[in-house]
Amino acid sequence: MYLSKRKLPPEFVKKAAAVSTVFLAVAFTAIFVAFWSIQIVHNVTYRQLAIRNITRTVPLPAPRGMVVDRFGAVIAENKINFTLYLVRENVEDMDKTITRASFFSGKSVDEVRAIIAKYKKHASFYRIPVKSNLPLGTVIFIQSRQDEFPEFEIGQEPSRTCPQAELAAHVLGHISEVSEEELDAAPPGAYHLGDYVGRSGVEKQYESFLKGMKGAQTVIKNSVEKIQEISGESKPEIGDTIVLTLDLGLQRYIEELLDGESGAVGVLDLKTGGILALVSKPAFDPEIFSAEMELEEWRAISSDPRKPLQNKFLQGIYSPGSVFKIVMALAGLQENVIGPGTTVSCSGSQMFYDRVFHCWNPGGHGVMNLFSALENSCNIYFYNLGRRMDIDTIARYARLLGLGDVSGIDLPNENGGLVPSSAWKLEAFRQRWFPGETISVAIGHGSLNVTPVQLLRMIATVALRGRMPRLHVLQRIEKQGRAVREFAPEFDQVPIAAENFEMVIEGLFRVVNGSGTGWGARVDGLDICGKTGTSQIIAKENPFYKRLTKEKKFMPHSWFVSFAPRKDPRLAMVVLVENGGDAGAIAAPLAGQIYRKYFENEGLR
Amino acid sequence: MKDYVRFFDKFTFALLLLLALAGILLIYSAGYFTRETHYLKQAAWLLVSLAGFFAVFSLKIDFLFRTSFAVYATLLVILALQLAVGGTVARTKSWFRLWGIGAQFSEFVKVPLAIYLARLLAQYEKMDGWAFIKVLAIILVPVALIVLQPDMGVSFILCSFIPLVILLKKVRPTVLVVSFLLVLLGGIVGWQSVLKPYQKDRIISFMNPSEYKTSTGYHVIQSKIAIGSGGLNGKGFMKGSQSRYEFLPARHTDFIVSVIGEELGFVFIGILFFVFFLLFYRQFHFSFQNDEEFYFVYLFNGLILFQFLVNVSMAIGFFPVLGVSLPFVSYGGSSLLSFFVGEAIIFRVKINNYLA
Repeated sequence: MYLSKRKLPPEFVKKAAAVSTVFLAVAFTAIFVAFWSIQIVHNVTYRQLAIRNITRTVPLPAPRGMVVDRFGAVIAENKINFTLYLVRENVEDMDKTITRASFFSGKSVDEVRAIIAKYKKHASFYRIPVKSNLPLGTVIFIQSRQDEFPEFEIGQEPSRTCPQAELAAHVLGHISEVSEEELDAAPPGAYHLGDYVGRSGVEKQYESFLKGMKGAQTVIKNSVEKIQEISGESKPEIGDTIVLTLDLGLQRYIEELLDGESGAVGVLDLKTGGILALVSKPAFDPEIFSAEMELEEWRAISSDPRKPLQNKFLQGIYSPGSVFKIVMALAGLQENVIGPGTTVSCSGSQMFYDRVFHCWNPGGHGVMNLFSALENSCNIYFYNLGRRMDIDTIARYARLLGLGDVSGIDLPNENGGLVPSSAWKLEAFRQRWFPGETISVAIGHGSLNVTPVQLLRMIATVALRGRMPRLHVLQRIEKQGRAVREFAPEFDQVPIAAENFEMVIEGLFRVVNGSGTGWGARVDGLDICGKTGTSQIIAKENPFYKRLTKEKKFMPHSWFVSFAPRKDPRLAMVVLVENGGDAGAIAAPLAGQIYRKYFENEGLR
Repeated sequence: MKDYVRFFDKFTFALLLLLALAGILLIYSAGYFTRETHYLKQAAWLLVSLAGFFAVFSLKIDFLFRTSFAVYATLLVILALQLAVGGTVARTKSWFRLWGIGAQFSEFVKVPLAIYLARLLAQYEKMDGWAFIKVLAIILVPVALIVLQPDMGVSFILCSFIPLVILLKKVRPTVLVVSFLLVLLGGIVGWQSVLKPYQKDRIISFMNPSEYKTSTGYHVIQSKIAIGSGGLNGKGFMKGSQSRYEFLPARHTDFIVSVIGEELGFVFIGILFFVFFLLFYRQFHFSFQNDEEFYFVYLFNGLILFQFLVNVSMAIGFFPVLGVSLPFVSYGGSSLLSFFVGEAIIFRVKINNYLA
């Protein structure tokens, strides 16, 4: 027998058994309590973590709302757009993937790298949009070889399309991808990287209505993010339809009239304050922003000296020229500085404060009263009126009539312009106002700066004999064909007596229908009242004035503000042709053509 | 023969079978959605293990102890050979390709080492310094060879023999301190020169699992989520999202307890613990014919208990992820066979006790 007989004392064996029992009891109690704590006490926490592990919410983009004109003609809608996505998690060889992405998207390797780098803070399962507007051929190529390219996904999303291209581009505005800074500032979930957001025009103004409600898809994924099943889905909701007051037919007509020119036209429905046409030339195609814009394209459009991106109607700043004489006449009448019988003799020039001021007619107009002074746009008459008033009174009336301040039209990024006053000069230049400066302001020059929309609102107020309309491009907002918001016309009363307006209107009637500067706007059977204006680029006192103004870029801007008919007026209009030269020759005939077109169509409708 | 049937510990044997069969079911569940057939292999291994159990059960105990040194020495030679020519599976050299079935050879060290140690402990009346160092060396040489393979799990489990020897032989504190310093020295040398970076990472990650989201710490977190989300009743057999959607790592081996926790809940965790408790309780409590038997029973039961506690603690982040499986339950044929063979000896000791 190899084995020894037992030598260990029985107490030792018993003790060993007892110790083992105690150890077992302690150890098992410990693990039992530990599991109890995790499974029972912290169950809810871990259950949530388990759910979070497997569920992913994928936002489904909502189609942007449509933008249509007052008759339902489409200005902006949506089309299906294929987007190439890259999912880093499924990438096997990043260099290979980047080469492929570059091939599919037509972008350079460095551009692709830059796009991927932008999403480095996102989880690796995030779908990085590499290229939108993917050609159908590429879509088919990738989808038919999906197992060769597991890192790529093709997404179908609605994208912005503008069937009318440049038509009404400045009203519509453009959209572009949301930036990372904006994402950080926005409330969580409102926008995701890769979303588009309105940047200008109606797209910006009514962004909250247009953007719609995002949908979401809840999917169950495994640990390597392969989708196992779709567990829930909420459909995206298309944005509201924005119905504009625009009449696209009229808009198109005006845009074609101004083809090749640079300038702005606004046509206003005086009954409602709604804008019927808003043209700013040259224009741009909003769709090039919605797609991925090439850098070259962006450089070309943003550095164009004619500023196609600027909405000249509400951002362009010009001196009003003789159009300002309307404001002067109203101020003079209301302040009793002049009356209908007040006359001034024009000999072509006159000395004020030791300086000679000229009329545009070097031969002089002879004896002028209010009506003939307006009709002939006589500078001498208004110089004298300016001398009899102080700058602050003039500024007060200019402001009353909406100049030097934003009009409040429902379009973003409006410019305020400037109406000079003694207080302004003191603040801006630390200098008192010189009375000589008032003489220039009296004929709409000097530091006066206005936008076309301000002049449109001013002439509309004149047309309505003191009722100032609130301008708007929104007619109503529709949700699934049902109007949810309708624009109600709003008017403010300007504290100027109605008879003063009537007197000025008589002058404005003569401008077009008498022997005045605006004869070019005349339309048979329609009582058009208007006022021409010429906004000098270089001063007449410049010794090279004659020679320089032969060049287009130094020719003065040409204004014509007007309304019709004289009684119960329905339309107000502003026409500005940049470097158009003589206002009577350029802007006024354009206005006449627009009136003719509009009232012809009215007859037909 | 009739007595062998009569005195055979049928209850404990039923517990072992219960654990092994439950293991096969859980392995089936863990691999169902990834269409793995581990459960079939495990069933085959269970048959092999039962054959091994009765083969060893039929051997005479003294034969086992008499041949223990020869078996131990042979094992060392094989381990050394493996290091030189062993095939590489998943960066470890511990797998022998044998008849097309992978066998984790290091698992087979557990039983023979326990037998040889039991014999040595019975020989030394008093455990003086030299004797203790010799015993330490006998444990640490195979441990070192297995670390080099590298198989952290098995080598760590084999180290459980050291505290067991100390407890069983009442080693003097001075001897302990000196040996501890020696082992510590060896450990530092080993850390600097032997351990591979990924092995070091595993040990470091245990210290702060949240910081290692994607590697080993990630495993612990996912395992805790699985267990915690199971709650009292679990999500239902084969319905665990952590397991089904592959968040759980090594769910058929090291983290099988997490599958139980997630799919069957705290109720079945409690039942599992109770079965193990009964098993240990019954295998610790009987009297012995001689000292070798006593030492073997305590050493081997101690090893299973240690492995069980390490595995379960690992699943809830109380212990580093070292690749330690759940005895009798986890997938792994070599491990199953090794444990059944070891149990066979305990069963034989027990029955000898009755028949004596």
